Amino acid sequence: MDPAMQNSNPTILNVADLPTRLHPASSRKSGTYRDGILALTLSSLADPTDLALSPYESEESDGDAGLMEEPIDEQEIYDLVSTISDPEHPISLGALAVVSLPDICIRPTLPEVPSSLLRTVTVLITPTITHCSLATVIGLGVRVRLEQSLPPRFRMDVRIKEGTHSTADEVNKQLADKERVAAALENGTLMGVIAKMLETCQ
Amino acid sequence: MSALQTFLLVVDHDKQEAKQIAERIAQDVESKKTTLIEVVQSLSEYINDEDSILRGKAVSYLTAVIKALPPKFLSRQQIQVLTTFFCDRIEDGGAVAGLETLQKLDRFNKPLAEEVALAVFDRLQELQSRSQSQRFQVYQLLNEMMINHRAALHDMGDESLVGIVNLMTGEKDPRNLMLVFSILKVVMVEWDISNHAEALFDSVYNYFPITFRPPPNDPYGITAQDLKDRLQDCISANSLFAPHAFPSLLDKLDSTSPNVKKDALNALIACVKLYDPNTVSKYSITIWETLKFEILNAQEEFLSELSLQVLSSIAQRLSEGITEISDQLPLAVYLQPITKECNEQIREPQQKQAKPAQQILSSVSAASAASFTIIIQTVVAPLLTIYQEADGIAKQRALLDTLGVLFDSAIRVFGDWASRDAEPTLGNPLLEFKDQFSDIFGQALMGVIKEEVSFRTSALKGFLRLSTLRNYFQDNEIGLFVQYLDEILLKEESVGRDDLKREAIAALTEISKYKSRLILDITFPAFVATLPDSDDGSDSGYISTLESLAQISVEKDVFETLVRRLLSKLSILLQKEEPGSVAYPRAILSTILYVMNQRKLDQDPNLELYYDKIVVGLCRSAAAAASGKATNTILNDATVLDILGRLCNVIVKSLPKSKQEEVARNTLSLFASEDGFQEVTSASSPSDNHRRTMILSTYLAASLPRDLKTEPSCIPDSPTLISNVLTHITTLCISETEPATQLALLRYLALWVNKILEKEHLDIATAIFDGLLPPDVQDPKLSPSQIKTIFWLSKGLVLRLAPKTSQILTTLLNLLSSTDEETSTTAARGFALLLRDDEVLSTANFANIRLLSKQRVFSTLIPLISSRIREVNITGTSSSTTTPTPSHIKPSHLTALSGILSTIPPTLVTPELPTLLPLLLQSLDLQTASSQPIRAATLETLAVIIRDNGVPVIEACGHVQSLVTRLLKTAEHAPASGAVNGSRLRADALKCLFLLAQTPASSSDAPAIAKAGRLSPLLPVKNQVLRALRFVLDDPKRDVRKAAVDARGAWLRGVDDAPDDQDE
Repeated sequence: MDPAMQNSNPTILNVADLPTRLHPASSRKSGTYRDGILALTLSSLADPTDLALSPYESEESDGDAGLMEEPIDEQEIYDLVSTISDPEHPISLGALAVVSLPDICIRPTLPEVPSSLLRTVTVLITPTITHCSLATVIGLGVRVRLEQSLPPRFRMDVRIKEGTHSTADEVNKQLADKERVAAALENGTLMGVIAKMLETCQ
Repeated sequence: MSALQTFLLVVDHDKQEAKQIAERIAQDVESKKTTLIEVVQSLSEYINDEDSILRGKAVSYLTAVIKALPPKFLSRQQIQVLTTFFCDRIEDGGAVAGLETLQKLDRFNKPLAEEVALAVFDRLQELQSRSQSQRFQVYQLLNEMMINHRAALHDMGDESLVGIVNLMTGEKDPRNLMLVFSILKVVMVEWDISNHAEALFDSVYNYFPITFRPPPNDPYGITAQDLKDRLQDCISANSLFAPHAFPSLLDKLDSTSPNVKKDALNALIACVKLYDPNTVSKYSITIWETLKFEILNAQEEFLSELSLQVLSSIAQRLSEGITEISDQLPLAVYLQPITKECNEQIREPQQKQAKPAQQILSSVSAASAASFTIIIQTVVAPLLTIYQEADGIAKQRALLDTLGVLFDSAIRVFGDWASRDAEPTLGNPLLEFKDQFSDIFGQALMGVIKEEVSFRTSALKGFLRLSTLRNYFQDNEIGLFVQYLDEILLKEESVGRDDLKREAIAALTEISKYKSRLILDITFPAFVATLPDSDDGSDSGYISTLESLAQISVEKDVFETLVRRLLSKLSILLQKEEPGSVAYPRAILSTILYVMNQRKLDQDPNLELYYDKIVVGLCRSAAAAASGKATNTILNDATVLDILGRLCNVIVKSLPKSKQEEVARNTLSLFASEDGFQEVTSASSPSDNHRRTMILSTYLAASLPRDLKTEPSCIPDSPTLISNVLTHITTLCISETEPATQLALLRYLALWVNKILEKEHLDIATAIFDGLLPPDVQDPKLSPSQIKTIFWLSKGLVLRLAPKTSQILTTLLNLLSSTDEETSTTAARGFALLLRDDEVLSTANFANIRLLSKQRVFSTLIPLISSRIREVNITGTSSSTTTPTPSHIKPSHLTALSGILSTIPPTLVTPELPTLLPLLLQSLDLQTASSQPIRAATLETLAVIIRDNGVPVIEACGHVQSLVTRLLKTAEHAPASGAVNGSRLRADALKCLFLLAQTPASSSDAPAIAKAGRLSPLLPVKNQVLRALRFVLDDPKRDVRKAAVDARGAWLRGVDDAPDDQDE
């Protein structure tokens, strides 16, 4: 890595304020019994040893029976990439606002073919400073994370957000060039950096 | 041959013999058979020999003789002569040891000590070139003299100082260095070193940093840390070292090795703590300038922490003796650049470096009251200005957090409301800002829109800290805060994860510990006022109020008041003709139960009162309700009775023996026999309401200790009577239709046979067990109620390892082979019940649960199940058998297996893995919807096995490929194929895959050699997994996709392609 930091004092957002779906357990039901202390004492009457019906089935029934589809959405993409660490700081891309929810969008790849399942994910990256030479590495990290985590019918489009970087065009060209990306991923040192960035993914 | 000659011959190979020879001569000297002079003279032949080894041996002969003499034997003159002799011969082996012996003697005096020291320093070059062990002897001698004759060495002044330094120059052996450092430390601390400070410092600093690594199996057990500690003691021993120590140590911070930096920082801390404050002051700013960088651009957490410690130690030293603050204080001069830097950084509190700046302020301000005062004076005012001018809530929030950090320091310096130690003499500088803080934090907490949860949480935490701070807020000011908190809890709607409410409750709980009056005066009336008289179904807001009350009622006074208020609410409810929903009384009882569980009831002075009001009073009311004599039906409700039963259980367990005996007499009569209430077990045909009181009775029976002396009137002791009682309960169990009552009856039955029944009467229970089984043992057919009763009865017996346990278990397993599908599948589920922790039949309720019961069940049943399944597999494939096996038999056995496994600790399971794994894999092959519970249980078991043991155990059984294939199949969402994999099942399968790759392939303590060059056993399936998972990433359910992402990530990361870097 560069001996001198590019930006040694970036602004950091409060992690608790970032939009996420990662810890939903307690917020899902907004009724009064959420995780209340009285909940335990109230539910206990159901016979835990009822042999006729195992508790598993009853739980399952409200989950799968309706077969509610939960399509991959922007929030899910955000949750995939926001916990990647910045290569310079041990801080997540989400907290540094390098990636943000409004800058992610999912669109049909072939709008003219409505039946096509192909989707394109666009993630716009906002470097912390306009001359950040690590922008390419960050872009690559985001790309690798998405390629590892999304099904084959998704196409990635990772770009620098317009007007946030001095050499955005060049970086974008690199990120869009499949062969260059592939070549970069053959590079052991670079992959080491990216693996380190992805270590913190949740 | 003379004694000397014999000694010279044997000394090399037989130390013991040599010692004995010397001892004999010593005895002769003592008994005046010979004289010391003769002994010395006998040496003359060898003592001038060319051969230094021979000379050495001769001298050691003399040493050995002296050593063997009693300590008071030698006269002063003799000692003197001998000392001179040894000093002359100091280069000969044995002389140093001789001197060491001599200097221990009482008659050895100061001039002699000086003579010895001079002799050592004189010949130091010769001594330095000796072997390690001989050098060790020299240091040992010196060290002993430091202990016994320090004054003599001290009076030699520079001479001894230079001598010692020269002597140890070039020493490298760790054992010797340990001694050298401790000798030098004495010199550094006690000698006048002003002329030689640098030489002395260099003599030890040359060894910094210590890079010693002890050899494997080091017999001396000296660690690098031991050396580091002694070296550090030397470096920090004398303030005169400061001009050399500080610059050199700060230089070392440029090192690239974190360990070197760590040693340097530790040494700095030691120096700051031990040098004279004036000296520390001189270097304080230089140190800050260097360490600033370490903290603001921290490489490693621990380095920044150590640096912060250095800074706060300096502040501490410079605060010594300060009674009044002024700008000229060395402390103020030191803090000036620090606060300047920090002020700059915290202007932009959201930027990364604001955090370290906060840490600096935090640790330096907590160093002392003086330090805190100076920092507050320079930091708070500008912070408040920035706060007023801040353009966004996020920034304001960060500023509040910064203030919070300072409040924490204030608490560390001035104490909190529980502190009893003396307060610092300096006043708390925060007092000046009290009103401002109260305004700002109050405004931030209550004056912004409700959705700004994290901002308000910061405000709340800050407010709480200020309330905690000793002698800061007055009670009425804290009262205002309490009102805010009440308002948040009572009036505000839930937002998001309800962090704010949670924090508010935590804050009230904290306050109630020390200021319970405020809670009782403000919070209680406000909360209780919102509780309705009854629940008419329109608003269930009372539940969150009760929850809040329960959580803050930890302190004694508050607890008592709460219980009293709630009980009176409840008694009003019980009198009402139309009491509304039972949910309300149930919630009230739950609240009481919750707070009672939180407190140690057995020391509670009101225990008797609770017993009378709750156990006796409410049980009696329940009995009345069961007989139809109550105004309403609250106490007829099973859920209410359940909570009431638990409550009674908690109280009775804390009661004294005499009261418990009273309970024992009334478990079934519910204290109401005088009112004409009949016990359920003796009533002829009790009504539903009547039978339901068994819920209470069961909890009461559970609460009584096993060794409680009971009268025959409540527990029968003749076999016939016992048999009658048990048979009667069993009949009740089987015929009961209401689930809650049935469960209570079943538990009562299990409690009876497990806890109450004496050992010699166990055969009665076994007889009843046999009686429950159908006449056709080969092909049993039973109703679910019967099966349930059989299993609960068995549970009670098996847990105490009754004599016929194995027989019972075998009989139960036979039920699975019934041709009647219902009997088979119901019984299969029963196996999960056998060992499952039950909240009533538990050790807390004095049940008789033997440690080996799980082991016994496991080892009895697993082989049987395994062979039965094998049997079924074989008959299934060969159609020639006479009777085809019904298709439900195999799933039933697998269900039973999964039920048992779910209740067995993994340590028992692992050794049986070779037998179990094939069975588990077969259960994953089931694909029907009804098999989902089995598969889920299997996956759970697999997850535990994998997490605890990693892949190797699976590999050892040779099942990696088949396991992975099945897991992938279970993870698949393929409705078209007919396989039913619920979303939770799919996620569980993915979790197993994740764990496979995540858990280290070989245990981490295995030697590196064994790991190197060995490919991961997962490698052959890696591509298969990655390919398959790519499609699972498209699962319709989000949770499954998440699990797939994690699993795939783990396989990409954790399973190395080939260890090519190790081949080179």
